[in-house]
Amino acid sequence: MNHTRTDIIVGIFVLAGAICLGYLAIRLGKVELFGATGYVVYADFASVAGLKVGDPAEIAGVRIGKVESLGLVDDRARVTLRLDPTVNLQDDVIASVRARGLIGDKFVLITPGASDNIIPPGGRIRETESPQDITDLIGKFVGGDLTSKKDEQ
Amino acid sequence: MTKSMPHLVVLSLLVFFANPGISMAGPPTDQIKTTVDNAVGLLRDSREKSVGANERRAQLREILFTRFDFSEMARRALGAHWRRRTATEQQEFVQLFTELLERQYAGIIESYTDEKIVYVGERTDGAFAEVNSKIFTAKGQELSINYKAQLIGQEWKVYDVIAEEISLVNNFRSQFSRVISSSSYDELVRRLKEKQADVIPVKN
Repeated sequence: MNHTRTDIIVGIFVLAGAICLGYLAIRLGKVELFGATGYVVYADFASVAGLKVGDPAEIAGVRIGKVESLGLVDDRARVTLRLDPTVNLQDDVIASVRARGLIGDKFVLITPGASDNIIPPGGRIRETESPQDITDLIGKFVGGDLTSKKDEQ
Repeated sequence: MTKSMPHLVVLSLLVFFANPGISMAGPPTDQIKTTVDNAVGLLRDSREKSVGANERRAQLREILFTRFDFSEMARRALGAHWRRRTATEQQEFVQLFTELLERQYAGIIESYTDEKIVYVGERTDGAFAEVNSKIFTAKGQELSINYKAQLIGQEWKVYDVIAEEISLVNNFRSQFSRVISSSSYDELVRRLKEKQADVIPVKN
């Protein structure tokens, strides 16, 4: 009798420990068990060099969602963003891939627009800006900038 | 004559199907190209005929106003703050913004000297289109210019120009919102008006 009682208590503790470990693993691994919250929008970029799945989407520096997946559609990069359900994006928002500092982590910056129409779940952000390639910029700098005024007559 | 007809048909079919990956230039490209060609033609002619700078600026304005939707650009550039303004304020802002663009870009456009412009692609999505073009300079450098246009009636109206992956609208949107959030909308208008007072440089 006494023996079984101890066994049951030990069992409960082991089970509790296993649940704690499982919880930790899920939290640390950022696995979404019960379906992710929020909604999804797409944005097509000419290039997203350096952007990774899980990178944040921000408005004015505040995180409003994250990059859920990256894919290729018609030779353009399609970024799937999962946004917080409380966030509404106007259909003229501009999404741009930016870096923190010169070579820092990438994130998707969204600048709010003026339109009255809201992008529905599963909709697409039409206006996008791809990141500048540093090598290209250096090339332009070394080779001279196009927009500088040339000899005018 | 009649003998060569089948050959011509086959040839034209071949040409037609040879490049299925490359999108055929549609109305957006045609319309934007016409406008750009007109502007370029004007600049080239005026160089030869020595038209007065003010007159040339006026003609250039006329050409560009038919294709570029400056009120839509202004609306987008002001972004979220647009809706908080009254109709009168919005009208005033469009005016100020158009003048700002003219001050900043008229000089650059007028410095055009026979750069080659090539239209490399077009993407339409309902009433919206993106036209990709490249400019080649005499030095052999290339600069990408993408136009974003919206179909209004029968006309594609440009509402954003993306030069080298930098959106004109987004550039102004972030600048304007910085001024508005750090001080106020009135401060933004004051600054725009202050700049307006500067003499618009007109080059010959």
